Amino acid sequence: MATQSILGLYENAEYAAEASESLENAGFSKEEFDFLTDTPYPEGALGERHHSHRLYVFPFIGALLGLSTALLLTIGTQISYPLITGGKPILSIPPMVIISYEGTMLGAILFTIIGIIFESRLGPNLKNRLYDPRISEGLIGLIVDCNESKIATAEQVMTQAGAIEIKRK
Amino acid sequence: MYEGKTYSNKQINDDLLSSLTKSSLVYWAIVGTLGLIVLVATVAVAFMINKGLGVTGLNRPVMWGFFITNFVFWIGISHAGVMLSAILRLSKAEWRRPATRAAEVLTIFSLMTAVLMPLIHSGRPWRLVYWVMFPYDFQRGIWMDIRSPLVWDPAAVNTYLTSSILFVFVALIPDIAIIRDRSSGIKKIVYSVLSLGWRGTTRQWKFQAIAGILLSALILPVFVSVHSIVSWDFGMAIAVKSWHSTIFAPYFVIGAVHSGVSGVVSVMILMRWLFGWQNYVRHEHIDALGRLLLVIAIAWFYFLLMEFMFGIYGQEGDELATRHMQLLEPPWMWFFIVFIITAFLFPVPMWLFRRVRRNLWLMLITTISVNIGMWLERLLIIVPGLARKQVFTGTWYTYAPSIIEITIIGGTFAMVLMLFLLFAKIFPLIPLFDIKEGQVLQDKIKVGKAEIPAVIREE
Amino acid sequence: MTSYKDKIQISVAGEELSASIVTNDIANNFFAHRRSGRMALFLFGLIFLAGIVAFITKAMDGFDSSQRANWGYFAALFAFLLSAAGSAPLVAVGFRMTANHWRRPFARISEIYAVVGLLTIVCLMPLLALLPPIGDCSSGPCRKTLWFTSEYWGVPTFWDFAGLLALVVCGIALLLVSALPDIAQISALSESKSRPLLSKLTKFWTGTQSQWHIHRISLSLLGGFYFILLIGVQTIINVDYVMSLVPGWKDSILPAHQALTGIQAGVASVVIVAFIARTFGGYKKYFPMESFWSISKILLALSLLWAYFWFAEVNTLWYGRMPVEQNILKLVMFESYRLPFALNFSMNFLLPFFILLWNPIRKSVIGPTVASILIVVGSFFMMVRLYVPAFGIQDVTAFQITYVPAAIYPDFLDLIMIAGGISGAVFIYLLSTRIIPILSLWEVKEGLLYQRVRPFLRGEYQVLGKPK
Repeated sequence: MATQSILGLYENAEYAAEASESLENAGFSKEEFDFLTDTPYPEGALGERHHSHRLYVFPFIGALLGLSTALLLTIGTQISYPLITGGKPILSIPPMVIISYEGTMLGAILFTIIGIIFESRLGPNLKNRLYDPRISEGLIGLIVDCNESKIATAEQVMTQAGAIEIKRK
Repeated sequence: MYEGKTYSNKQINDDLLSSLTKSSLVYWAIVGTLGLIVLVATVAVAFMINKGLGVTGLNRPVMWGFFITNFVFWIGISHAGVMLSAILRLSKAEWRRPATRAAEVLTIFSLMTAVLMPLIHSGRPWRLVYWVMFPYDFQRGIWMDIRSPLVWDPAAVNTYLTSSILFVFVALIPDIAIIRDRSSGIKKIVYSVLSLGWRGTTRQWKFQAIAGILLSALILPVFVSVHSIVSWDFGMAIAVKSWHSTIFAPYFVIGAVHSGVSGVVSVMILMRWLFGWQNYVRHEHIDALGRLLLVIAIAWFYFLLMEFMFGIYGQEGDELATRHMQLLEPPWMWFFIVFIITAFLFPVPMWLFRRVRRNLWLMLITTISVNIGMWLERLLIIVPGLARKQVFTGTWYTYAPSIIEITIIGGTFAMVLMLFLLFAKIFPLIPLFDIKEGQVLQDKIKVGKAEIPAVIREE
Repeated sequence: MTSYKDKIQISVAGEELSASIVTNDIANNFFAHRRSGRMALFLFGLIFLAGIVAFITKAMDGFDSSQRANWGYFAALFAFLLSAAGSAPLVAVGFRMTANHWRRPFARISEIYAVVGLLTIVCLMPLLALLPPIGDCSSGPCRKTLWFTSEYWGVPTFWDFAGLLALVVCGIALLLVSALPDIAQISALSESKSRPLLSKLTKFWTGTQSQWHIHRISLSLLGGFYFILLIGVQTIINVDYVMSLVPGWKDSILPAHQALTGIQAGVASVVIVAFIARTFGGYKKYFPMESFWSISKILLALSLLWAYFWFAEVNTLWYGRMPVEQNILKLVMFESYRLPFALNFSMNFLLPFFILLWNPIRKSVIGPTVASILIVVGSFFMMVRLYVPAFGIQDVTAFQITYVPAAIYPDFLDLIMIAGGISGAVFIYLLSTRIIPILSLWEVKEGLLYQRVRPFLRGEYQVLGKPK
């Protein structure tokens, strides 16, 4: 059966948290609902699901790539034009350390940004998703993605918990 | 957070987005004037490129003058952003909230301006492409010399600039989403694209928080490296004795932080006045920054002392001549006196007093004073050092800037301010969600009979 | 929100603590004289004694500035004690200033290190006699010095000594002032085992509001002075005993680098004692993971900073390429003393960096402890690679060194002296813990006032009070 989504809007976080508790009591799992807020709440405060991730892999990959690129550049340029300047040997280590350091950090940061955007599941496809601009002004959205058969129950629980409006897609 | 009142999220949006929606005549008058100055400076640059570097006051042996001084100065200012926002994020300081974005934005614009300086200084900017990026001649493979500190510089500055822009952008996404929800038409489309479909799910917020910490930790080492590398532009040479000092890297970094944090304080006070953000940029924030400045200034003074003492320690002729010029020969002697008073003796004892730290006028005056001093500090390092070098030098000569150089320098100050103000028209300068989060985490605990402000702490 | 029932929690196990539990716990632990404690005291005292005998034996062979080369390891020992023990109180000073709660269990551990200062003063006295004269440049050979003058103004010996004395006095004052409320309370608790001397000392302490106010102000003033004095003393000691003895060595970052290494070793020494107190001292619940986690981050940052200062030095000297610069790099890093340098570099930077890079390791007790042990040992080798070569150079009045002197190896007596000196420091520290409790009673209790666990919406979070 297809899954359906509904979005309930709440005036404050207390109501939203109560609603999530009622949903769980009504047999919904944490995986089936999520919140839309304009404020970051401490993790677990709204009773949301736990998000696992692999973000920490990204900076390491980036750092390795950056380091190897920088080493390639520094070694390559010195070998391809082996001119001794200022009495410093070809393949001078201190300047290579500096350039490699910058390369490593740049790689790590670029990949971290990519990782953050990827792990947050960001992408320009808002139109197809349930949303309400009033969330930006302080309303809390509780979004439920569940089996068609359970949608009615969800709507009932959410209204009872004090939703000021329910939106369906 | 504790001295402010609590506001509804809508109120916070209205207040902090007012810089985007409302335009006062004063605002446009300021931007217009600044734009005019930038225009004049651009003409001066064009004139200089057309006529050649002869129109500046640069001459042997002082081939680095106002432009390079200004380069170091703006790189220094750019150090405030990351140092403030990253260190305060990592240490979970609650009072960082209204300061982070403005500081980061100041980083970006001052860094961009700084990059312009060596480009202009080169006289033939297009040649820089060969020096730092591509081989001069692909056939013969004449690549840039990575052993030259002048190649490290673009590597570091570009890393720093790229990282800071992305850092600011990631923290802007939730705020862009709010503007998106409030706008219509073409504006809505642009902000929609920029907001990357942000909805504020718990997962998105989780990674927003991780991004703040992780990127701070990654960007801090870059920030330290940038000014160190700038200092090595000077320190690697042995021809100029007073530059060849092992302490130069940390000395430049701490000096940059000194001037940069002062710059942020000045900008925050001006912002508060211009946009009417009395409830967000509060006395307690300026007070906390003042205490931070006190520590930074004392640390900086230790490094200054060390640099100077070891300048004389070596007892070498040209080094002593440089110190003589800095300390005893007018006009440098006067610059030195002004420098030491404005950068240390005047502001630092003032900051000891809580009443000064809580007085916006005095804080504005002292922090601007620091930056006058720190500009002179760079001038005093660069020009006397070159003017009194011995190796490869036929003559000792001094330097005076031409009107062209002064115009261009003036233009850079106008440019940073103008870009900063224009940014405030497009994006909020105070992170909305950070302020809201501060309100959510705000709490009170009872100790005996007293109620004490408290904060909810996540791991 | 005040209707919630607050839980007070600083312990790992999640037990509730109250002021009376803390007082009883710390007092019981303090009065419980374990056999192992007495054994340790005896053992370290014995090695200390052996060290003194070794010193006297060596001194009988000759003791003046011409025999400086024999005393390099002794100087390194002195610098090590000054760095590691002298900088340790900064943990309490610094993080008290920034009002970090996690510092509370570490505070007293770090302050007690100030008593080791007494040993460093004793060590400095013979070293003063070993310093060659500066000389008068107008009438003969002289050497470069930071003091820019000959010995007429008591330079450098008087100022070195006065500086260190001021530092040690300030440090012990800091310790006594900080421990005053605790000693008062503990001696009030002790019945049969009363300590007449201390109770007399602390009789006037009744814990009134104004006394606490003065207490707080004195601590921050003494802390500020201590910090400034420490950096100053490290600077002049480094210049007088290392740099100015090697002709042509102009290295403006070296004093700051020694001071930084000291801070690194100081923090590490605190972690080591904290580990012992937590594991064997019965104080487990007072060291929440957050404390170790936070201090790990500090250790990691200090390791990175160490590498940065080192690179700033090496890069500049390497790029200069003047013969004297190359000779100095070869001397203290890459040739003569490359073994202590390799140990120094890997133990102060490489290994701690790769250990502490990982969050799960930072968030453990054993991780930061292992890193700390490495850092302390590495710092000793840093002092070896600086002080031993500096003491080995004879022609101190030359313009610059034109050769790379060979390494000097420690003899048997040197090794005994080093073991004795370090044991002496441990001995003095252990002795002090018999007078002053190793956990800061008032600071831990103060922490209880401001740290709660409280439900918020559907979760439970730590709530930290921020007074003022």
